[in-house]
Amino acid sequence: MMDNIWFTSALWIALALASALISIRIALSVALIEIMMGALGGNIIGMPLTPWINYLAGFGAILLTFLAGAEVDMAVVRRNLGASLGIGFVSFLLPYIGCMLAARYLLGWPWPQAQIAGISLSTTSVAVVYAVMVETGLNKTELGKIILAACFITDLGTVLALGIVFASFTIWLLAFAAATIVVVMMLPKVGPWFFALVGQRVSEPEIKFLLLILFALGGFATAVGSEAVLPAYLIGMALAPAFQHDPELPHRMRVIAFAVLTPFYFLKAGSLIEAKALIAGAGLIALFLGMKMATKFVGILPLTRYYRFDKREGMYTTLLMSTGLTFGSISALYGLTNHIIDQEQYTVLLTSVIASAVVPTVIAQTWFLPKIASAKQEV
Amino acid sequence: MFKLIVVANDGSVGGFKALALACDIAKRAGTALHMISVEVLPNMPASIDEVIEAKTDENHKFHDVLAKARDIAKKKGVKLDAEVVAGHAVSAIVAYVKAHKADLLVVGFMGHSALYERIIGGTADRLVRLAPCPVLVVK
Repeated sequence: MMDNIWFTSALWIALALASALISIRIALSVALIEIMMGALGGNIIGMPLTPWINYLAGFGAILLTFLAGAEVDMAVVRRNLGASLGIGFVSFLLPYIGCMLAARYLLGWPWPQAQIAGISLSTTSVAVVYAVMVETGLNKTELGKIILAACFITDLGTVLALGIVFASFTIWLLAFAAATIVVVMMLPKVGPWFFALVGQRVSEPEIKFLLLILFALGGFATAVGSEAVLPAYLIGMALAPAFQHDPELPHRMRVIAFAVLTPFYFLKAGSLIEAKALIAGAGLIALFLGMKMATKFVGILPLTRYYRFDKREGMYTTLLMSTGLTFGSISALYGLTNHIIDQEQYTVLLTSVIASAVVPTVIAQTWFLPKIASAKQEV
Repeated sequence: MFKLIVVANDGSVGGFKALALACDIAKRAGTALHMISVEVLPNMPASIDEVIEAKTDENHKFHDVLAKARDIAKKKGVKLDAEVVAGHAVSAIVAYVKAHKADLLVVGFMGHSALYERIIGGTADRLVRLAPCPVLVVK
């Protein structure tokens, strides 16, 4: 029956719909529920991956990364350049090195596999941080803006690492880098000009124009052994100021992405979790989570002191920056799809990433909420 | 007997029943009355837009809840201080009650399935356990 693409589609969309309903009911991220649903589906009923499912999932990952790049508030990054660059870079580098070395020397993973472990666990979830800051009102303070800007820098580090580490260093890589730089420099002017020229139409020429750039550069990236999410994030960043001025276009793209594309990505990511590897790898999951949090602490906590955060705010900031979800899962899935890591290693890494979305947030919210917690909301 | 009564209102039928009774008690006792409502944002979201969307929905909902609550209090002749915060309902309400040293917390009862009650427990149930003051659950 699974040879019938419509029945297969119905199964995947049924799981996506169930995830959306559960997410609304319990106010937990739909992405997290989709990963869990995928894991249940993959282990209980089996969810074979077909080329078209892989295509939709890959498309979803590219759009997700593009939209994450488009959320970067460049004005905030520029205004707090020193602190955000310092905290953000260290927040990427130390977990990357720490988790990579742990995988290499404690677990004996070969270097490429250890690299995937380092990259997957170097991330910070901007969205998790943002949600917590809205609750506490921190998003309106200078401290909150520095934290948010630092998260963008961390994500940029992760995306750059994923795009560069496994690339083949040939003349074509230079050509790809040059093409990406030219597009990124031209888009802030060409993009808004084109959007104004064609206007908002049902045929969505604006979205098609952006998809053309994303696919072309994604293809270029893949051809040189890099990863399509790298140009996607950079293009998103280049268009972020235009999107902040006119949020309607990214909103329409999000609707498309979250309705039909990202469910395939997150369900696929979950379906590849192996239940028996999850049980056998519980110790490794704890090790990677512990290493990620420990290296984030070593890197970020002293910097929060340097930038004169008080103790509680420093702990809170460090814990929030230890979270991760989307880019961690993209990195782990990249490793599995490109046969760099096996399914057991993928299970361990993805579960560590999920744990890093939950554990630091709960600790931060329970014990280190800054004094301005539960800020009064304007409704 | 009471100096400050806090009523928690999530905009449900039970929440407004709690408000109506809290208004009556506050009027008879000549007590100050505060209302707290909690916007619930998604936990562990995948994108900032997910948060903004949820926040916008909650803002619209609680804009109407505040207007209706003020209208009810006005009709009952009670001054109502209303506040909306964002976060987890139970912890935000308990924190508010502690911060304002309230003498009584009034909450509405919302029935869940037996399974939900057994595994997670109702909001009112957890407030009864965690609030530092007497809690009146209105059915």
